[in-house]
Amino acid sequence: MRLALIILVLSIFSFNSQASMRMGEWGMVMNENLDNLPQGCNKISGEESITVKAGKEYAKEFPGTIFGYSQHEFNFPKCTRVNVTFVNEDDIRHQFMIHGLPTYLHPQGMFHMELYGRGEVNGVFITPNTERTYLAHCDVAQHMEKGMKAQVLVGGGNGDLPSVPGVSGQLNRDFYELDTGIQNIILIVILLLLGFSSSVFFFIWNKK
Amino acid sequence: MKRFSVVGLLISAIVLSVIALFLYDPYLLYSRYFEYTGVPAYQAAPNSKPKPDIGQVTVCDEQYPEWRKKYKIGGVDIQASDACNPDNPFEVAAFVRGTNNVIMPVLMQTQLSDDAVVKTNDIDGDGDPDDIVIRIEIAELNGRSPDDEEFVPGFEIAPGIRPGAWVFAPKSRGMATVNREDLTANHLLRLPSAPIRVEEGDNVTLILENTHYFPHTVHLHGVDHTYENNDGVPQTSEKMTMPGEQHVYKIKPRHAGTMMYHCHVQVQVHFMMGLQGFFIVEENKPNNWVQTFNVGAGKVRKPSVGVMEDYAQEYDLHYQAIDTELNNLIQTSNDPRQLAKRMNRLYDITDGTDDYFMLNGRSFPYTLRESLITVEPDQHTKLRVLNGTPETLSLHTHGHKATITAYDGVDVNPLAQVTRDVYALSAAQRVDLDLYTKDDGLHSYGEGAWLLHDHAERAITNNGIAPGGNVSQIVYRKYLNKHAMPNGQGEDVSAYFNPDYYTGDIPSWTLADTFGFFDDVSGRSVETYKDVLLLIVLGMLLGVLFLLFNSLYSFLHGIAVKLKDRSSS
Repeated sequence: MRLALIILVLSIFSFNSQASMRMGEWGMVMNENLDNLPQGCNKISGEESITVKAGKEYAKEFPGTIFGYSQHEFNFPKCTRVNVTFVNEDDIRHQFMIHGLPTYLHPQGMFHMELYGRGEVNGVFITPNTERTYLAHCDVAQHMEKGMKAQVLVGGGNGDLPSVPGVSGQLNRDFYELDTGIQNIILIVILLLLGFSSSVFFFIWNKK
Repeated sequence: MKRFSVVGLLISAIVLSVIALFLYDPYLLYSRYFEYTGVPAYQAAPNSKPKPDIGQVTVCDEQYPEWRKKYKIGGVDIQASDACNPDNPFEVAAFVRGTNNVIMPVLMQTQLSDDAVVKTNDIDGDGDPDDIVIRIEIAELNGRSPDDEEFVPGFEIAPGIRPGAWVFAPKSRGMATVNREDLTANHLLRLPSAPIRVEEGDNVTLILENTHYFPHTVHLHGVDHTYENNDGVPQTSEKMTMPGEQHVYKIKPRHAGTMMYHCHVQVQVHFMMGLQGFFIVEENKPNNWVQTFNVGAGKVRKPSVGVMEDYAQEYDLHYQAIDTELNNLIQTSNDPRQLAKRMNRLYDITDGTDDYFMLNGRSFPYTLRESLITVEPDQHTKLRVLNGTPETLSLHTHGHKATITAYDGVDVNPLAQVTRDVYALSAAQRVDLDLYTKDDGLHSYGEGAWLLHDHAERAITNNGIAPGGNVSQIVYRKYLNKHAMPNGQGEDVSAYFNPDYYTGDIPSWTLADTFGFFDDVSGRSVETYKDVLLLIVLGMLLGVLFLLFNSLYSFLHGIAVKLKDRSSS
């Protein structure tokens, strides 16, 4: 009983110390950063606003996915305040979660927006003074794997992340069978013949 | 090239083969050989291989041992639990009170969404809420990732064993995995699908939020419900709930008992993938706040008023089986179209065989961590048993004969109740048992750590290797150690916690057998002059065979040259 009370008090304390936490029956916004300057930034150099829509609607563009975002790549300059409007168009839970941010600004390096169902919420973070590519995704089980993966490039970024729909390919690739349509088969035969005849020609020519 | 005499080569090959056979074992050449020469000399069999290093294994991976104690949170009395990893008492409190009725600090100790369980309106004025809204999601476990070979979110049923599965889970918040580095599923996402409890007569709104990538429904098997839009059957009562959609089931169950819920889409696949769970309707009693979810099944830390009238404690025991030919299909592709074809059309359950057998989502030895039934003498324990396997479950209790008090949620006439030690449950059947620990030679034979398992012998293995499967124990508390593990009088169990044991790389009795009588045999090595001679002779034989092939080639080549000459002339 006493322990429960202590945990309760401690949890209230930790709850309050984590000032940037908004939560309700609509969802939550965690580790928001409105005006703490990242290291190496003298001032906030600019403001940007984006709207990220989430839902199955956005998977249609990318075969083999089930969920998606309205945009899978975002580019921001360094030290910029980004206002994110997150819109959930499904009747289930979705998230827009950015990972790898400076841990002194975002516990666990995470800026996390979540909607428990259809709706809209705003959140703010400030891009660090680095050239890096950050992962943004929905971490409901298998949502990232099935299409809810995006990348946030700050200062141009440092390359692409794998398997971002429309941006990059899979590392652990799926295997697809050959299309046995007549057009494809003819193309395959022509290409094989081309290779075959060129090698044969090469040897005959060599002999002469 | 100089021709070798083919005949000479053939003779040498035969002679060398005979010599090789003679050197290997003369008995093979002539069975009465040893009658003339006397018995062969003693040659020691190869030594045992060195014992495998079991290494440091974690028998109980306790994270929050303090959660085992009794708690009172938000006015909810939460019973102590002896599990190695007990249920989070704050979550239990939130399930009992409703996520809408607990204070924020309690909710913050859980990973539930604010609207997971909403309890309002005491309509009949008996001290408990009667409008209950329950939200469930569907999570995949051990699925494929396009980025990595590791399965996400990870869930081990036994050491190193990660079959694919789908489960119904209470609506949660935050990440599905522990964090970005540890891709293990968070504690709410696990097998079995979470048991749901409601009170008889409650206005229950069960909302299925389909977070999964396939269509699903909920069929309330045995629970009193109306037909239209409520039966969960795509062929008859309703449309399937597509990914990203939700479906609202409204029920007001008039009959109490142990029932179940399961997905009714492609049942031969979805049921076996794990979309099946307890749905328990508790008797209507005053001040009866029931524990809406019992995540991971096992001990109910806040039993209902009705149960507490007759019993000291209550356990949910959910038995399941897995055919990896089906379950691991989700690990073969990340493309739902390919998965739909492989699971619905290429997989044939009529050719299926079950490989893993689970009690409450784990197979032995992990059943030791959280599926033990811990008892005191002279105590009544209520066991609710659900057979989610496709075969008959022949549940056997060592040291006890329990009494069957209900079948499929219907009470057995007390005069006709049967007390026995093997309880047969056909597929999807539920049985309520009264486990009475009175040491009278009938109900109990006395204190101990007694086994509890399916007596269909394949079910006590992990893909054929024992001990494994759904083996658990009824443990009297004096046989529990401080890590909530049974203090057995038997063999050291640590070898079973090494994943190599279930790949067959560790001899079954390695820890018991210090001398190494039953360890693996090492291979035969070159030791005697005979072995040396044998190898040389075999080498010569190879040489002769090579020359034979060579002459065959020259022969064919000669023919080809002749044919060519003839055609050109």
